[in-house]
Amino acid sequence: MRPLTAGPDEDARHTTPSPMLQRLAAERATGALLRDRGTLYLADGQVVHAESPATPGIDILLTTGGALRHEGWWDAVAQAGAGQRVARYLVDSGHVPGGALELCHLGALYDAAFFALAPTRTPARFRYGVSHWIGPVRPVAVDAVQRETLRRRELLDRIWPDALTDTAPVTRTAYPLDAPVPPRQLRVLELADGVRTASDIARELGRSAFHLLVDLRRLAAAGLVEAVGREAAPGAAAHGLAALPETADPDVALLRRLRDALEAL
Amino acid sequence: MANTEAALKEAMSSIEGTTGVALVDYTSGMALGTLGGGKDFNLEVAAAGNTDVVRAKLRTMEHLGIQDEIEDILITLGTQYHLIRLLKTRGGNGLFLYLVLDSARANLAMARHQLKRIEAELEV
Repeated sequence: MRPLTAGPDEDARHTTPSPMLQRLAAERATGALLRDRGTLYLADGQVVHAESPATPGIDILLTTGGALRHEGWWDAVAQAGAGQRVARYLVDSGHVPGGALELCHLGALYDAAFFALAPTRTPARFRYGVSHWIGPVRPVAVDAVQRETLRRRELLDRIWPDALTDTAPVTRTAYPLDAPVPPRQLRVLELADGVRTASDIARELGRSAFHLLVDLRRLAAAGLVEAVGREAAPGAAAHGLAALPETADPDVALLRRLRDALEAL
Repeated sequence: MANTEAALKEAMSSIEGTTGVALVDYTSGMALGTLGGGKDFNLEVAAAGNTDVVRAKLRTMEHLGIQDEIEDILITLGTQYHLIRLLKTRGGNGLFLYLVLDSARANLAMARHQLKRIEAELEV
């Protein structure tokens, strides 16, 4: 039974995605926090880098976005990888402007941290002393990372409360575009082929995977995208809600959204 | 080449009447950096909320079929100006600079001009 008022456990769940990370910050630890869906690198108790298989790394964000050529990236890795100063080298050698690198790195850090800090049952491990070859860019306080991660979870749920499009392959629904879709979301829609997931599309477009989650939830809220496997979900047919009759009624999209929202309760 | 912190500092010190400045990612609503603000003006909340302003305007332009880009958005309050300047980043990730000005001290034309310059230093 869950108490009606938020007890200490409930509070902890809402204020700190990872109590272990909190402790590591307090002891000003340096090393790598390995979690189920990603890794956070700490230096002196601050987050200096983060990686997750769910989201494109800074190399993809920089090269696909057009800020850096592939050769430039590999040159930096070859020249400065061993010395763990790749970021510094990219800027000093004139490959990427300092401001652009910092923004891209910050974006990638918060993005990967969001996935790395996703709720999990696998215990986290911390390897003391480990650092990342990207080298120093701009450290971020653990509190800021945890706060932002929680804010992002709330943002997604506010847009559309069904998290299925976050992880499952996504496909276009049969509903026509009845309002203009922003160009960025349109490119996402074009890649929603029933096979690709949010992470796949992010990698292909060279965009942050969190941005993809936002776009997909917006598209889902508009009734334009759904997760594959949704129709086969147990219970959907049993409730007699599986199919809406074909009709020219312009409110079909609305009805569909209502249905999905009710199912998500 | 300015880093983000230097750019925010410069906005704060060189633009007359500035009481707060934030660099915001408008898809996630995250403030990548803030300076100023304070207890009675939470810049992170302002950053997240103003992403909806930008999105609404972009959507309206699409509905109207306007093929153009937003350079900046000005919101005039009784005692403040809020200035939103969209950045043209090479990576294409939508960012904007958000500036809070005290309208009694600010020179709006100058502020817009300075903000443009700071954008150039940040991204070129």
